[in-house]
Amino acid sequence: MPEFDAEKVAEIHQHLHSHLPSESALRVKALETLLVDKGLVNPQTIDAWIEAYTEEIGPKRGARVVAKAWSDPAYKKRLLQDAPAAIDELGFLGKATAHLKVVENTDQVHNLVVCTLCSCYPFSILGIAPAWYKAAAYRSRAVREPRGVLAEFGVAIDDDVEVRVWDSTAELRYLVLPQRPPGSEGMTEDQLVELVSRNSMIGTDRDLGANTRSQD
Amino acid sequence: MDGIHDLGGKQGYGPVEVDDEESPFHHDWEGREWGIAQCARTPGITIDWWRHCRELIMPEDYLGRPYFDSWAQTDFATYIEAGWITLDEIDAGKSLSDKTDFGNPVTAMTLQQVLQEDHDHAVRFDAEIDAPPAFSVGAQVITSSHGNNGHTRLPQYARGRRGTVHACNGAHVFPDLSAEGKEIHQHCYNVCFAAAELWPEVENTRDKVHLDLWESYLVAG
Repeated sequence: MPEFDAEKVAEIHQHLHSHLPSESALRVKALETLLVDKGLVNPQTIDAWIEAYTEEIGPKRGARVVAKAWSDPAYKKRLLQDAPAAIDELGFLGKATAHLKVVENTDQVHNLVVCTLCSCYPFSILGIAPAWYKAAAYRSRAVREPRGVLAEFGVAIDDDVEVRVWDSTAELRYLVLPQRPPGSEGMTEDQLVELVSRNSMIGTDRDLGANTRSQD
Repeated sequence: MDGIHDLGGKQGYGPVEVDDEESPFHHDWEGREWGIAQCARTPGITIDWWRHCRELIMPEDYLGRPYFDSWAQTDFATYIEAGWITLDEIDAGKSLSDKTDFGNPVTAMTLQQVLQEDHDHAVRFDAEIDAPPAFSVGAQVITSSHGNNGHTRLPQYARGRRGTVHACNGAHVFPDLSAEGKEIHQHCYNVCFAAAELWPEVENTRDKVHLDLWESYLVAG
């Protein structure tokens, strides 16, 4: 059982630095081989998890939640009040979303989500986090210069709009509810789903109107 | 821990590489590591201990290696620390002991079983506790100016700063002790900081940064 000995772990990391192969693929292979041999993991179950997060669980789930909130005011109210219960109505409750909070963009407010200390992400509703979300550049700068980071994503925020950055420092996870774009009034929920980008639910995308125009 | 992982507000990391296709894994090994992390047996290992072990990766490896590689490294370290695998076994590429007290053999799961497991793993970290919350919404608070020698979730950039309680989250497992294997619940709050309170170069902006912080990180301000 773990002894929770941090000094020992620091020493182990030093040993691993020289013991493990230098290529990531070989390191993970070494881990899987040993854990399978020990009976701690089953390779077919690993396959199933990869398939689950490649084919079934991903940002399309979040987009469905957003589209439903845009289409159904009562659902939106439930989503803002109790997001875990609201996403469970669609069967999307799961890994890292038991304490989900939905934060709503308005004309006056733009929300941006980050995890500066590790890379916390609402897996069961957005899937695997994009590479930039886990990178030092985003984690370091999103809290300090969110407008500069947003500009790099091509998002300009007016001075009179408040930027709210949510640093995921606890087990709460955040999903941004983007604004429904003009031009989408007559669209069905299925059509709306197609407008919602993954980045808009993290906050690195804001105006989804270009997506309605591209559907014309 | 004042470690390399505590990146908020650190400077010099350059622009964000914003291009990222929506495919979840860019290499097969990333998917393998994701899968291992979801289903490998880890008795006694708390999420906070695992996070702390990731924080303890040597800075050059923490920053220099791909994200899921750091997960693999953390898995190795937590297993070795717990005595389930050894460095010799890593070198040998196979088990060198007949240690079999890990419980029943792990069985193969289907996609449907895994999807059900994901749903069932909506783990809650909150609980009812006897102590009432010390702060209510709207209260002014000041964060601790010290960190913690071990794991902690008060980032350096938000230490010794004045903020306003935005929401009471209920009592959540306290990470500083969870990383030592102790499950103690403590009131946790969403605290809102004005950007100008956090960063010297920021003036005249209405921008805010929100953090979820435990009661022992806070005093009345």
